[in-house]
Amino acid sequence: MHLTSPSEPARIVDKELFDWLTDLRPQTQIPRQSRAFVRIDVCHRAYWHALFDICPQLLKIAAPDGLAILRPFMTWAETQNLTFDWSFYLWVYEWLKQSEFQDRIDNDLLITMMGASAARWGNYDRTPACGLVLASAEASEIVVAWKCRTASGRREIEIIDLEEPLPPPEESFGFFTLPSFELAPFPGWRNIPR
Amino acid sequence: MLVGLNFTLGGTHEMVQRLVDEGHLDYCELLIDNFLQVPPDDLARHFKCPIGFHVMFSKYLESDLDFLQDLAKRLRVLIDALRPLYVSDHMAYFTHRGRRLYHLGEIDYDADYDWVRRKVDIWQDLLGQKLFIENYPSIMDGGWEAPAFFERLTRDTGAGVLFDASNAVCAFRNCGAPLELWDNVIASTPHFHIAGYNRTIIEPHFTVDSHDGDLAQDTLAFLKRRRSLFDKPGATITYERDHNIDYDAIVADLARLRAVFSCSKEEIHAPHVAVGAC
Repeated sequence: MHLTSPSEPARIVDKELFDWLTDLRPQTQIPRQSRAFVRIDVCHRAYWHALFDICPQLLKIAAPDGLAILRPFMTWAETQNLTFDWSFYLWVYEWLKQSEFQDRIDNDLLITMMGASAARWGNYDRTPACGLVLASAEASEIVVAWKCRTASGRREIEIIDLEEPLPPPEESFGFFTLPSFELAPFPGWRNIPR
Repeated sequence: MLVGLNFTLGGTHEMVQRLVDEGHLDYCELLIDNFLQVPPDDLARHFKCPIGFHVMFSKYLESDLDFLQDLAKRLRVLIDALRPLYVSDHMAYFTHRGRRLYHLGEIDYDADYDWVRRKVDIWQDLLGQKLFIENYPSIMDGGWEAPAFFERLTRDTGAGVLFDASNAVCAFRNCGAPLELWDNVIASTPHFHIAGYNRTIIEPHFTVDSHDGDLAQDTLAFLKRRRSLFDKPGATITYERDHNIDYDAIVADLARLRAVFSCSKEEIHAPHVAVGAC
């Protein structure tokens, strides 16, 4: 590994920096004024925007910039081998429950995080499934995501309070997917992906 | 040169229709894997113009074969039904050590060549037609190796390059790799992308492919300098705009693109039209 600085114009390819792209701990190995430092920051900001653009109320919990949440979460996520797939927001919620912010979370935030994860599934999942049903052991509502079904449409998120509630998932969250654009009989909950 | 716009999902549908109706667009590029659940006839009914297919999340370099086979099967239904001008995908890492990169990573063009070539062969074969692969907006020094990599890859696989002109400008601004290194690639492909870029938030400022503003003067100057390499029969250039969506600003950028390539169809590809038509 060769690190760069204005006095060391060594060539660095992007891949040499990958280990740092998900590591938000204070950087000590890459010179602050280097291109490598800025490139790593570009990636860190992508996680910041993914979390706080979608769930801005988290900035009220960890004012002013949310880093009191994002930095320790990302470190914890590494120990938990999380993949930052569509369940990203649900794992942030899991981390919040055992953090110094545990007294600041409520049902509204839970539903927001569930909606954010369901929307991420709707945007990025490329399996044949048309919809996803997501439930929490802590909430009576379920969140349903639908992929885009018409050329002029977009993905849709519904929050549904069922008259006849489904059994709660055994873990904090559970989900199942829908093979068509209709709610299907309950097949049982699957654990959310790590 | 046909001028098109990238369409990702419903939010800008009415604007795209208006751009087509008012003659600003010759075709529309669909981020097609956003529409896998949409019936092909619905897509055909909505887009009364030629279309291109841009695949975003196949992650063909990292996805397993079962997933790619299934995805290709569904894409081929849309390809057969809609006959796109081209099918394109990306050249980037979407994950690292199993973790999603929310800002995509650039491959190591030297060290990764052999396995990347195999993956391109597989994905292109599954899609059943020539695949055009987009170059990455280098921040680091891979920008120097990228042009030769794509020349070698297209020679070895038969794939093409979806040459993103502004991505190449980003790479030039960030790592200094001369734009002339891309001449052979530009000459070899009929399909192009272009977008506005922006500078990084923190200093020292570098350039990121942001799709959030107007085309930069150096990007347009690049097109003008290499116009004869870009323009060719069947050539397309897709304008990408994902943020700061403003109808008039988009129309103005589309007009700038048309101005660069004005009259070129008549001058180069249709010699039977009246001399002096332009």
